[in-house]
Amino acid sequence: MTGKDAVREPLKSEVNRMDNIDDSEALRNRIRKVSLLLIAVVAFGLPLVMRSPTYLHIVILIYFYAYLTTSWNMVGGFAGVLPLGHAVFIGAGAYTSTVLFLQYGISPWIGMLIGGLIATLIGLLIGLPTFKMRGAYFALATIAFAEGVRVMVENIEFLGPFQLNGPRGLQIPPLDIGFANFMFANKEPYYYIILIMLILVIGLTWFISQSKLGYYLNAGGEEPEAAMALGVNVSRAKLIAMAMSSFLTALAGTFYAQFSMFIHPKSIISLDLSFEIAFIALIGGRGSIAGPILGALLLRPVSDFSRIYFGDVFPGLHLVIFGVVLILVMIYQPRGIQEPLTRIYDRIVDRLVEKYRKGVA
Amino acid sequence: MLFILEDAINGILMGSIYGLTALGLTIIFGVLKVINFAHGSLLMVGMYVAYWTVTLTGIHPYLALVIVIPAMYLFGYYLQDIVIKPIFKAEKDVREPITVIIVTTGVWYILDNMTLLFFGPQYRSIDDNPLRGKMVEIGEIMISLPKLWGFAAAIITAGAIYYFFQSTRMGRAIRATSLDRDAASLSGINQYKIYNIAFGIGTAVAGIAGVTLVPFYNTFPTVGVLFDIKGFIIVVLGGLGSIPGAIIGGMIIGLIESVGPQFMAATWTEAIVYGLFLVVLFVKPSGLFGVKYDW
Repeated sequence: MTGKDAVREPLKSEVNRMDNIDDSEALRNRIRKVSLLLIAVVAFGLPLVMRSPTYLHIVILIYFYAYLTTSWNMVGGFAGVLPLGHAVFIGAGAYTSTVLFLQYGISPWIGMLIGGLIATLIGLLIGLPTFKMRGAYFALATIAFAEGVRVMVENIEFLGPFQLNGPRGLQIPPLDIGFANFMFANKEPYYYIILIMLILVIGLTWFISQSKLGYYLNAGGEEPEAAMALGVNVSRAKLIAMAMSSFLTALAGTFYAQFSMFIHPKSIISLDLSFEIAFIALIGGRGSIAGPILGALLLRPVSDFSRIYFGDVFPGLHLVIFGVVLILVMIYQPRGIQEPLTRIYDRIVDRLVEKYRKGVA
Repeated sequence: MLFILEDAINGILMGSIYGLTALGLTIIFGVLKVINFAHGSLLMVGMYVAYWTVTLTGIHPYLALVIVIPAMYLFGYYLQDIVIKPIFKAEKDVREPITVIIVTTGVWYILDNMTLLFFGPQYRSIDDNPLRGKMVEIGEIMISLPKLWGFAAAIITAGAIYYFFQSTRMGRAIRATSLDRDAASLSGINQYKIYNIAFGIGTAVAGIAGVTLVPFYNTFPTVGVLFDIKGFIIVVLGGLGSIPGAIIGGMIIGLIESVGPQFMAATWTEAIVYGLFLVVLFVKPSGLFGVKYDW
């Protein structure tokens, strides 16, 4: 044994001991990866098992709302304001791509991006003057803006050369089915498109929450004066968040237009839609990544099934349930249902790690 | 010209009833600093209480006030006490109580849809109505009598509330709480009780507005939504927390809505109202009569 190895030997055992301490952390990470992988397998494999178009439709709408709420969360969650007019961005996306497709034959995929850019401009237009305001004023301004736009669209037959059809809305004839036209005969392609969109937007949110922008937004949302005193440009961070949120929301608008093939102002720029997004976010957990998804998973089925089974007898029942759930969650779990669920997940992981350790020993 | 004058007068009268709705909203905001999204629904509840009181007992529509005012006061008092207060307490240290806003939205959804469940979607109006279609003629100008009474109710209510806030002990306690809730608490004012009372008063005022609407307006579960959005616009226009601002703001909106259709399609006046609202928000967020520190 040379001298060199003699030095290395104790070092190695040191490293081994460190490994043991780190073991549980690594194990936790592995469990997290496995469970994410499991979720991904289930999500991607679901259409192979679930053949019923009705159920698939419901799941697509769950993803759609999870996507919308995650986009909303960038402003409503991280920036700490309460936007209640996000339907206007959905409308911008839906109308832009549909008008371009119907009148000029431009593929909705391109229209989607143009719609996103238009929505970004609208978002900046709303954000610039309003982010200085207090929470209540911001909420009111976004509502008034969205409602104002809805009223205008309902009154406009032609916006310059673009045909909007006023209150009758636009219908997309299902003629040229195919990927280029964002039109499919089955539900499965829509399912995968919205699933991938959802995964991308969740990834983006995670990335933002780890970035400088995420910290700026958090600081500005909680203590704007303190953040500004530290040199954080709060309103600029909020504007960036608003721009991204409106762009992403508009993409979902195009998706919805292509999925339902019919849009009209009352359905797509409605106050109810804006509120539903905010409800899902708040019940799920504002400002968390899992919150919007959990909220959509919980609330959408409630709304769909109560509409299917009780719609004739008890109209509006699902909205009563929404309201009650919202109030109860806000009183007992102000940070949303993601908090207790995260705790349960942590406990299960703890138990697994414990078991594994015992098994090793 | 005469018909424009007629429209303008009727519009101002109708606007004063909008103002009455906004008055309750502005009282609640002034004290709690919370925008009560459920306010239109409270108006709707007031209208249903008035409607059923009149239909079941057959009394004159305005006599329903005797039942509506105390019933709505208690309803608002306990709504705030049971539903909103816990959230308020949880969010005490947050500068901008956003959760409370969204909870009032929850109340809105529950009230509207519960009403839909219990009473159905049909439009209701009083069968044996002594005021239906009654007009007052001044020269060649025809003025709707129930709207004229609504105008009177708005002015009297606003005056009474103003007097109450300025000159009574309780009114001063409420104003103190609205100016600085911590300092008021330190002076021995129970701020949560004040919130309950302010919410009760705001709800009772919505009830008064409901009574004045019932004789000439249909009662249905979503009637509140129409007045809700208008109420927001009016309070921002007049200045959140300002009593004269609410009434005058209401009259301005009523005027635009009634005179506007002479010059353009009626639906466009709605767009103009929203436009005006946004202009005020951007240019002078404190409104016509608002105080700067409120926003």
